[in-house]
Amino acid sequence: MIDFSFSPAQQGLREQAKAFTEEWVAPNAARHDRTGEFPKEICREAFRRGFMNTSVPKEYGGRGLAVLDHCLVTEEICTGCSGIGTAIDGNGLSQAPVILAGTPEQKARFLAPMTEELMFSAYAVTEPEAGSDVARVKTTAVKVGSDYVLNGVKWWITNGSVASWYFVLARVEDRQTGFIVPADSAGVVRGPKEINLGQHASNTVRVTFEDVKVPEAFRLGAEGDGFKIAMETFNHTRPGIAAGANGITKAALNIALSYAKRRRTFDKKLISNQGISFKLAEMMTKLDAARFLAYKAAWLIDNGTDNAREASEAKWFASDVAMEAAIACAQILGGYGYTNEMPAEKLVRDAKIYQIYEGASEIQKMIVVAKLMRTKVVE
Amino acid sequence: MIKDLMDIAGRAVRPFKRRAYGRTFVCPVCHLELAFADVDGNGLAVCPVCGAVISLEAPYGHAVPVVVDMEINRAQPKLRLHPMASHLPVGLFPVACLGAGVLLVASLLAPAAWPTALIERATLLVLALAVGLSPLTIAAGVSDWRRRYGGRPYRIIRLKLAFSACFVVLGGLAVALHASGAVFSPATGLIAAASPLELLAAVAYFATLAVNLVVVGTLGHVGGNLVFGR
Repeated sequence: MIDFSFSPAQQGLREQAKAFTEEWVAPNAARHDRTGEFPKEICREAFRRGFMNTSVPKEYGGRGLAVLDHCLVTEEICTGCSGIGTAIDGNGLSQAPVILAGTPEQKARFLAPMTEELMFSAYAVTEPEAGSDVARVKTTAVKVGSDYVLNGVKWWITNGSVASWYFVLARVEDRQTGFIVPADSAGVVRGPKEINLGQHASNTVRVTFEDVKVPEAFRLGAEGDGFKIAMETFNHTRPGIAAGANGITKAALNIALSYAKRRRTFDKKLISNQGISFKLAEMMTKLDAARFLAYKAAWLIDNGTDNAREASEAKWFASDVAMEAAIACAQILGGYGYTNEMPAEKLVRDAKIYQIYEGASEIQKMIVVAKLMRTKVVE
Repeated sequence: MIKDLMDIAGRAVRPFKRRAYGRTFVCPVCHLELAFADVDGNGLAVCPVCGAVISLEAPYGHAVPVVVDMEINRAQPKLRLHPMASHLPVGLFPVACLGAGVLLVASLLAPAAWPTALIERATLLVLALAVGLSPLTIAAGVSDWRRRYGGRPYRIIRLKLAFSACFVVLGGLAVALHASGAVFSPATGLIAAASPLELLAAVAYFATLAVNLVVVGTLGHVGGNLVFGR
């Protein structure tokens, strides 16, 4: 028997996140989109309300929310603005490797303070020549005494300018290894904010490591565990990315629906035209499908089951649906969908990144196919 | 540089604006910033600049204004007195401030060669004109508001009225201080400050001018928005 209902606690969490979104996120979305200003005050309020660092275990001061609960919060916040949502949720991606592979000392040192005051951390894996192909990372870590010395360039690092520490994937000889690197270490150089197509509230920068000394105690797992940790992280975070994309779809649907019910053309409401109403029906149906994929992927990992295929399915499907929905929303709004005074065009710009970050859609399909190749019969 | 300064000013003004306007949305036609409070009981607001009749909903906090009609051939001001009259206080007041500033510098540096007595008289005259004519400007504005905008209680109009009243009160105070002779010596035109009371009067005078300069600048900016949109 399958139960599709939310528990009272989950329902409460959704409502709290929705109230926060309506009060803080959506009303400020256009301003942050235009100015590119990092939404620190909104993050502070999210922190105060417990919407940041949701995955940090309770013994380190966090809420220890399940991945599914995190998805519910993320979907709501990203319905208001996925750029602000990314700024709020950026910590989760960098905290996941520490939660998964960190020692109790590492967790106490790097996770616990983040639950006491507003702080940021960043996941620094991508490099200029190594995006989807993570195995190509060139950043080196050379063992010198009891320290490692890191050299390399990380690119498109979310929250990179404001982070207090980074999860860094580097090569120790040929072994990919994960490190926690405090941002105030000598030799850490943060670049300027990248001007991206969308999600302007999100802070994306280049971070350069020049002879950065990292104590051995800050290494995550053993030498050579880095790639596995980085990939395992995605099984936990991709359902959340799918949920963020679903937030965009939900925003697109709500905006288009609100518009189509009030705008009149040819002496009738816009929604009375099948060409418009069918678009709305498709958006709703695809949103439901994308949600179920995200929820299932989250539920699997919460129950200790491998979800690599389901997380990839959820991520690419929800991303594609968000992109389609944003474009359909802009189309329904007509000229108003193309002006930056209305929220539709921002959705189009914001949605695109979901098909790219945390593994491009093509990578997700490769993961699904890789799983299929090990399957005789799909049941 | 200018953009940075405008950003800083925008950030400083934001909390005040939020209190004055509440939640806002933008007219999708002329881009004038309107308040949610401008929406009437039928869920409609009429943009005072372009006449767009806007139906407003905010699903998930996203303002979605839909233009359902356009008010065209709206009543025009009979004499267009307000746009012309408003330039008197908006234009003259900064000149008066400039005169007061020159007198302040002259008083500090004491250059005997400057015609300070003449500047002091001229400053008072310009100041009195700027403040004295402002009730006429306000009356003309109220008349236009009733005729052209149907007397709708827009937040932007309320803000203008509040700032106008503030301008008259503070301006009146500045004129009174100046005319009393407590701030500037009538003989030399320089700041008197012979007693603590006169010093206090001088400080109050310049503080009043500074605040009113911000007030009149805001009035000009808001009035410009109301005519041309954003």
